[in-house]
Amino acid sequence: MPETRELTLGEAVREALAEEMRRDSRVFICGEDIAEAGTVYKVLAGLVEEFGTERVLDTPISEAGFTGMAVGAAMTGMRPVVDIMFGDFSTLVMDQMVNQAAKIHYMSGGKWKVPMVMRATLGATRRSAAQHSQSLHAWFCHIPGLKVVLPSTPYDAKGLMKTAIRDDNPVVFFEDKMMYRMKGPVPADDYTIPFGVADIKRAGTDITIVATSSMVQVVLGAAKLLEQAGISAEVIDPRTVWPLDEKTLVESVKKTSHAIVVDEGYGRYGVTGEIASVIAEGAFFNLEAPVRRMGAMHVPIPFSPPLEDATVPTEQTVFEAAKALCG
Amino acid sequence: MPALEMAQETGKIVSWLKKEGDAISKGEPLLEVETDKAVVEIEATADGVLAGVKSHEGDVVPVGVTIAWILAPGEQPPAESATAAPSARKITEQPRPAAPRPTPASATVAPADGGARISPKARRLAKERGVDIDRIRGTGPDGTITSEDVLAAAEALALAAAPAQAPVALSAIARLMAERTTQSWTQVPHFFLVREVDAGALLQAREQLGPAIERDRGVRLTHTDLLVALAARVLKKHPKLNASWAGDAIQLNPQVNMSVAMAVTDGVVGAVIPNADLAALADIALQRRDLTERARSGRLRPTDVAAGTFTLTNLGMYSVDAFSAIIAPPQAASLAVGRIADRVVAVNGQAGVRPMMTLTLSGDHRVVDGAQAAVFLNDLAEAIRVPGEWLGQN
Repeated sequence: MPETRELTLGEAVREALAEEMRRDSRVFICGEDIAEAGTVYKVLAGLVEEFGTERVLDTPISEAGFTGMAVGAAMTGMRPVVDIMFGDFSTLVMDQMVNQAAKIHYMSGGKWKVPMVMRATLGATRRSAAQHSQSLHAWFCHIPGLKVVLPSTPYDAKGLMKTAIRDDNPVVFFEDKMMYRMKGPVPADDYTIPFGVADIKRAGTDITIVATSSMVQVVLGAAKLLEQAGISAEVIDPRTVWPLDEKTLVESVKKTSHAIVVDEGYGRYGVTGEIASVIAEGAFFNLEAPVRRMGAMHVPIPFSPPLEDATVPTEQTVFEAAKALCG
Repeated sequence: MPALEMAQETGKIVSWLKKEGDAISKGEPLLEVETDKAVVEIEATADGVLAGVKSHEGDVVPVGVTIAWILAPGEQPPAESATAAPSARKITEQPRPAAPRPTPASATVAPADGGARISPKARRLAKERGVDIDRIRGTGPDGTITSEDVLAAAEALALAAAPAQAPVALSAIARLMAERTTQSWTQVPHFFLVREVDAGALLQAREQLGPAIERDRGVRLTHTDLLVALAARVLKKHPKLNASWAGDAIQLNPQVNMSVAMAVTDGVVGAVIPNADLAALADIALQRRDLTERARSGRLRPTDVAAGTFTLTNLGMYSVDAFSAIIAPPQAASLAVGRIADRVVAVNGQAGVRPMMTLTLSGDHRVVDGAQAAVFLNDLAEAIRVPGEWLGQN
């Protein structure tokens, strides 16, 4: 039996990258402050020592430039991992990701592939203010040709990162900066988690709560409160919001007849809306109540801590919403 | 659906006297409506043509809901949106059969327009199980009908269907009787006084006065008529017995309106002879006969059963010796009259046979006490002993 350790989510991501870099010499990482600094959250600490500055490549502050470089490298046979320090800076890479990375395989008639991973962070409540706290992953879900991954545990982070690196298509991989220090069991061996397969984090019978990324942890806390209130919540983590495991979501709601979708992106036109629609379409005649969406409040994320905390779903707000829905 | 009484919530359409397309003129009888208390003819409120009849015979319709249109020639009834113009009053929330709602024309899921909210799952289950969602009271958030409510209703339906005998739905009168008697029996502190009286003089009075009244007025005088006249005149001297309980006060009634219990198809109603203490015996007899006939044919008007101040109920014709009556609130008392039968009683120290009758007075102890009631009963017994003195030239 291979060893299973308690790793933080940050360590799990680093382990996945290191193992893939050892396994495949085409894999390299580029981004700002990733080499000696090991990123602002120290996620990549130590990699430059093992793999050198050619494969752990510090770049100037030029997201559009190094992302475009990675697209070209991927087209010409490399498997780059691009590090975008904050997901907020997605604004700068949109043309490279949306018009180049996502389109090239299709427009070249399948002659070119873009096997790259764009890593970025999401999540509020770190007192990082409006330009460093957004969860913009929904933007990428909107684009055909991009896959979007949202790990919620160290175990999932390692397995999903390996799948992302081995995928021949561009993958956008969002990590919640608030979860980097969260610990969980991670096998030491080489394993992958397939995309498009949701994970039932907690089985239940009365309400299905679909959650992504760090919201999975929030919802698991709410589920404990709900249990004390006599409501059995099933918590489902889609793990990849595209491709989306619609079947698992719909089957669960057919069983429970109630659903809430929790995602830290903005609620309006967001991931929650898409998943709620999938549920409504697939399980309409089994619903006892409207599907409820819970996302970030539709405001720039405030710097003031009490205000910032009020903008995102919490254990208590999810608990109350679920209770109200179940009547 | 017009409101015919203050507290009316629904009306049942007994019959349409005009058909769709008929020309009608203002004041013509249009339809008959049964309320809680009576069947009433509704007159046309305007000249025109009857059209867009939405409610049919047997339908129970909330007050204020459109049941048909009177149109000018060539005019069309408004579109469906105008179906229900709910009255400003609160419609009852009790799970009574509501006005028939338009059922969805297709199998698609229609929103419960204006009706109770129902979850998609509950609606599907209701359709599958043949449950009428109009009859379900929702227990979900904000009264939403949930699948649990539907399944419970389906189960109740199955249980109800199991015995061969389906429960009998209550008519308006039967339901009202059930409500009122339950309310009275559970809320009014009843007490009862029983008094045997010699009815010999009463029989004589009927023999003496009856033929003339029958000849002059064409109505047969009954014992009930005599008792109504006597009791009303005695009541005038006993205002407490002719009073009403007003919740936290006693309301003395200036008039003596004698309510006479009358059997109708599904129950009993108290038909009122107003100012019975002042009315001549022949007039009482005529009014009593008119009310009896209309009660039998279900044609009592709301005013016929309103404002009674004391009730007299006689089961003598059914050979009942004596019985106790449930008071009809807010009235304070009720007199139950048994049959007149020959009994062996002491007459001047000797055993004798006399026509005897048992009176049982029911009193509301909040309004009147036993001693006051006993004095009234004593005076009534005296009046029955010498009716001529009380009936005067009648």
